[in-house]
Amino acid sequence: MSSEAGTNAAVVGAGRTPAVPRWVMLIAVWAILIAVPYWLPLLGGYTALAGRVLVFGLAAMGLNLLLGFTGVLSFGHAAYFGLGAYGAGLTLRYLAHSTPLAMLLGTLLGGLAGTLFGLLIVRRRGVYFAMCTIAFGQLWYYLAYSWNDFTGGFDGLRDFHREPIGLGGLTLDITDGGNRFYFFLLAVFALAVGLLGLLVRSPFGHTLRAIRENERRARFLAIPVERQIWLSFSISCFFTALAGTLYALLNNFADPLALHYSLSGYFVVMCVMGGMRTFWGPLVGATVFVVLQDYISSMTVNWMSFVGAIFVLVVLFFPRGLLGMRGRRGSA
Amino acid sequence: MGTIRLSINRRTLIKSGVALASSQVLGAPFVVRSLADEPIKIGMVDPLTGVLSALAQSEVDGARYAEAEINKKGGILGRQVQLLVEDSANDVGTGVQKTRKLIDRDNVSVIFGDVNSGIAYAMSQVTNEKKVFHIVPGGHTDPITGANCKWNVFRICNTTTMDANAITPELVKKFGKKWFFITPDYAYGHTLQDAFIKALKKAGGEFQGDMLPINNTDFSATLIKAKAYKPNVLLNNMGGLTQINCMKQFTQFGMQKEMALGGALFELESIKGCPPDAQTGWWTMEWWWNQPKVPEVVKFVSDFRSARKKTPSARDWFGYVAMHTVRLAAERAKSLEGPKMAKALEDLELPPDVALQPGKVRYRAGDHELMPNLFVGEVHPPKSEPDDLFTPAALVPGEEAAGSVADTGCKMVEPA
Repeated sequence: MSSEAGTNAAVVGAGRTPAVPRWVMLIAVWAILIAVPYWLPLLGGYTALAGRVLVFGLAAMGLNLLLGFTGVLSFGHAAYFGLGAYGAGLTLRYLAHSTPLAMLLGTLLGGLAGTLFGLLIVRRRGVYFAMCTIAFGQLWYYLAYSWNDFTGGFDGLRDFHREPIGLGGLTLDITDGGNRFYFFLLAVFALAVGLLGLLVRSPFGHTLRAIRENERRARFLAIPVERQIWLSFSISCFFTALAGTLYALLNNFADPLALHYSLSGYFVVMCVMGGMRTFWGPLVGATVFVVLQDYISSMTVNWMSFVGAIFVLVVLFFPRGLLGMRGRRGSA
Repeated sequence: MGTIRLSINRRTLIKSGVALASSQVLGAPFVVRSLADEPIKIGMVDPLTGVLSALAQSEVDGARYAEAEINKKGGILGRQVQLLVEDSANDVGTGVQKTRKLIDRDNVSVIFGDVNSGIAYAMSQVTNEKKVFHIVPGGHTDPITGANCKWNVFRICNTTTMDANAITPELVKKFGKKWFFITPDYAYGHTLQDAFIKALKKAGGEFQGDMLPINNTDFSATLIKAKAYKPNVLLNNMGGLTQINCMKQFTQFGMQKEMALGGALFELESIKGCPPDAQTGWWTMEWWWNQPKVPEVVKFVSDFRSARKKTPSARDWFGYVAMHTVRLAAERAKSLEGPKMAKALEDLELPPDVALQPGKVRYRAGDHELMPNLFVGEVHPPKSEPDDLFTPAALVPGEEAAGSVADTGCKMVEPA
């Protein structure tokens, strides 16, 4: 539709010419992200906040492969996010002091859990699918909550921290959490998003959109609908789990609320607010959400009311999300 | 690829001009200010929303009161003090993020917090990494000044062991040695129950108990279990709103007729939240406002009441002591650097107008734990005035309740 024309010109085809070509958009997005440590403090922000935006942005973009591109609503993605975080934390604490290994195992833990669970629920649709994902997510939440000796229970998993990464002869020391760690996060984010972008543009991505637009017709075209939804679900779980491992590294800490369904809800809010039919929408949504939470919660304890009000306004006046809005104007 | 249409029209030009101009106006004051005029910033992270909100609000009130008092008397090291408060929402992740925000963005010199021990500990990992002086006004679990003690972390409230040790002999003597625990399932609850069990076993007692979620609302199943066990004492270890709910349901079941009630803490905020028949039991109070024999306390309470329109609780006192601790440490160290302030505070004795109780109150050097008196006594419905809800039976010195530094398991590592 027209909302895609602005951001995904290549996907839709050369039917419409966007106001700003895609490569200008891309350069702008990456330039802004790379320059964060230099401009954010001037606006009263701090680099750790930008790190948080990247992590939640990646999680929401991962979810959006399922939500926006396949048209299937999951309300349990916090489970895979949290599993990624716990996987990374537990690895660093009990197994080995290696950041890459922690990220790998965390991503695998969350991703494989999602893959296996996906097998069970791909035949469900709509609200039944969403309910199953919530239930499965809460299962992990209570496991982490009640297994005091292993996961630290309600107080969260502690006593681990980021380890320097050895790259052959070079060592990348990300322990101090300053700009260097932000650039590390950005590099991982860039790789993941690049991969996600390729997937979305691939024939596989096109079949997902076909399922979203008209499932019956996709079936008539011999697209294996269940298998594609399952793949989409499990891939999106892998990306969200990767974001979760980064979250554990960002905080040096993992807690059960990272598995809680309320966080799944926030991910959905980020996607919808930013524009779930666009590729970059969830990142915009995550930015708005995290920054609002950070600023308003310093002023009032009722910050959620404000986020809620803004969400309602966005849904009422920009039903395609903030970026969807831009796309429509651009194509006019 | 399409062409770039970056034409700028008149409106855009005007809008961006206005935006640029306003950014100059807003940004300017931050650049020209000199350090001497800049206030000393203190960051406080507390769960202002969630089940512990009433306790957290009192700590903030106490700290705000002290902030005004200190600023009226010329501030700290000649600079005014500014308290920045952030809500941790009783969530560890949020608490950690807010701590980073206060340190990285607001450049605070000192961090206070949190009421929730789990958050307090997670925060101390951040403050220790950043070498920022950290006071825990009201998070009770032992490890904060025990196995996990840190050179930059000081604590005002008692450890759970101190609270349990103070009340146990009284409960055993008065009621008996068969106990039932209702305990929240997080760090505070676990360490508190362990401390009670240790003290109870020393007295040769027996027990049963239930671990419940921190924000549990329905206690009927647990109370039925307790009734069947027929204990001498039921120990309510829950905190905040959860404790109030538990007390209400306990009295609705009419269980106060069958067994005594008690525990480590039943704070003024919580007592006030209960109906009169649930205002009962034997408890440890960490500070009590009604000390007619101590003139400093009488003056403090009347001043605080006229300024804040309420009676100070132990939590108000925690916040109050925290602010004055920063003043005392900074003035003794003549610096705001974490390591110097920490060194200056070791074995520092609080003056009577800050300690607000009889005897000597000091920060013990070995584990950075404040050693105040513990007020052990009975909670009852209001007597002479609405807030006269507790009558101390004994004052237990902190050192006696805490045991030696070696017992706490603290091995202090000095900053590199």
